[in-house]
Amino acid sequence: MYSNAYIFRYAAIMVVVVAAVLSSAATFLKPMQQRNQAVDKMQSILAAAGKYDVSVDEAIPIFNEFITNMIVIDQDGNILDDYTGDKKEESEAFNINLKTELFNKSQNRDYRLPMYVVDNPDGKIYIIPLLGAGLWGPVWGNIALGEDFSRVLGVTFDHKSETPGLGAEINTPSFQNQFNGKQILDDQGRFVSIQVVKGGVSNFPANVQKHKVDAISGGTITSNGVNDMIENVLESYVPFFNKQG
Amino acid sequence: MSKEREPLFSAKNRKLITNPLHVDNPITVQVLGICSALAVTAKLKPSFVMMLSVIAVLTLANVIISILRNGIPPRIRIIVMLTVIASLVILVDQVLKAFVYDVSKQLSVFVGLIITNCIIMGRLEAFASANKPWPSLLDGFGNALGYGWVLIAVGFTRELFGSGTLWDYQIIPQAFYDIGYQNNGFMILPPMALIVVGIIIWIQRARSPQLIEEN
Amino acid sequence: MQELFNIFVKSIFVDNMVFAYFLGMCSYLAVSKTVETSFGLGLAVIFVLGITVPVDYLLNLYVLQPSALTWINPGFVDVDLSFLSFIVFISVIASMVQLVEMVVEKFSPTLYASLGIFLPLIAVNCAILGGSLFMQEREYQSLAQATSFGLGSGVGFFLAIVGIAAIREKIRYSNVPGPLRGLGITFIITGLMGIAFMSFLGIKL
Repeated sequence: MYSNAYIFRYAAIMVVVVAAVLSSAATFLKPMQQRNQAVDKMQSILAAAGKYDVSVDEAIPIFNEFITNMIVIDQDGNILDDYTGDKKEESEAFNINLKTELFNKSQNRDYRLPMYVVDNPDGKIYIIPLLGAGLWGPVWGNIALGEDFSRVLGVTFDHKSETPGLGAEINTPSFQNQFNGKQILDDQGRFVSIQVVKGGVSNFPANVQKHKVDAISGGTITSNGVNDMIENVLESYVPFFNKQG
Repeated sequence: MSKEREPLFSAKNRKLITNPLHVDNPITVQVLGICSALAVTAKLKPSFVMMLSVIAVLTLANVIISILRNGIPPRIRIIVMLTVIASLVILVDQVLKAFVYDVSKQLSVFVGLIITNCIIMGRLEAFASANKPWPSLLDGFGNALGYGWVLIAVGFTRELFGSGTLWDYQIIPQAFYDIGYQNNGFMILPPMALIVVGIIIWIQRARSPQLIEEN
Repeated sequence: MQELFNIFVKSIFVDNMVFAYFLGMCSYLAVSKTVETSFGLGLAVIFVLGITVPVDYLLNLYVLQPSALTWINPGFVDVDLSFLSFIVFISVIASMVQLVEMVVEKFSPTLYASLGIFLPLIAVNCAILGGSLFMQEREYQSLAQATSFGLGSGVGFFLAIVGIAAIREKIRYSNVPGPLRGLGITFIITGLMGIAFMSFLGIKL
């Protein structure tokens, strides 16, 4: 039988060793992890705007060249910051913590939101980052809108830990491509968002089909999470759309 | 010790690997690791990734606990074991995130599932805490493999009938769909994984009647 | 108050740990041979979930989540310990389980003997870690909500395991094909029960 003193000593040593190993790993690896996360975020933003297959090494220069403005807006649609320099990964808009801002929104406090703009000769592209909750963990993504703030040019989604083969399918092209060409505003210019629906878009009346996409079978809760995410985030930009439009 | 050293792959040691594949299978006989088996088997690819991760973690954790086994106070053994497993998994996850971000994105789903996979805890408790490192290594490897083949079998069935694909490649030809064949949507829902495992148990026990339970 | 009750009922039926999320399967399948042992395990799970979820809620609120440590010193705004969530949650769970193990061993040796290896396995019962992770993910607003979620999930597990144990006791009198007896048929029944419970999915309270 082990004495209590031994048990305490054992536990204490174990806690110290594990804490030391884990926190030093976290501290030393953090810069590399953050760079990887930033690159991943850029790739996702670029993919939403139609630039696929950007390699890890090129992501930062391509992002800086392709994206022209990094905008921060407040809840009334006023532009607070408009960064056009060439270190966009350090701009305010890129580093806004969306989770905190959306939490502030749910608590009816002031909040700020980021937006990335591409000023092409063929027309502007507005890219909005999304964040919401899936079944097991967060889901997030980017949605690219045309100059009318209504037509969807592209989306990307990703997730932390949705069920493989079911909810996890939201990050596949076959799901994401359905969004291309859909509208987030109705014919009168009111915000209606885009719904992920079960049972086939073609069963809906023709005039609302442009606001619907097909759900992933078996991924109900993740699909609902995607719905809530798109609606909750995009509705916060409506004041901005109205001011600009 | 005067006793002669056992050869590395003695008959007893070989059994440590072969038994879990069949008569002592972790899923179909020991009933361990079911939750993760349900969560990842909708497609073949995640099943395979999960198998590799479990092989790595179980073998390593078995060896570590086996080395520590004489010092662990029994009263806090569960915490010690879980801490070893969880730190191992978190450490691997952190390293992957820093150096191979793509792989870590694929694997992050499995991190939680591996920590709570009772197969790992079960083997630590039942085998590694009472045996030497080398047999523990074999036991860990064998059990992970036994767990893996069931996962692969279930993943294969569910992906083939549920999505008509294997490893994301289309297997069932378009012609079948043209004449009215439809994917079985039920197959990709978790309850079907239970039923498929039930059928695997049926086949396995029909072939080796010594496994049949009395009632 | 009504909201707490909603969370409670929802976590028993709509979000049932066993049938809706298929968590906690290992102990569910292995310890459901008789109603008596499954009753004991069910109570242990209610107890452990009822304690670990609120404790983990407090830890998450005051230690783990980004800028949670500002109550010690406003300078800690940037501290983010969320990478430790898993290990902290699992340690809380493991210590609770160890506690339950000691209590059961002392007061009910028969239950202790029949639970066998599965008592330590409650620690890795994914239903319990799942409880804490769902709590973190769904961002419950108060300790009371987290507690009623924890208790509700425990009761859901309890009902599920007692239910399957009752079916297994009855099915002993049926003529099940030999190789399917015991584990095989239990898997299949659970699958069917799961399909039945899917009809609760999507009900909003």
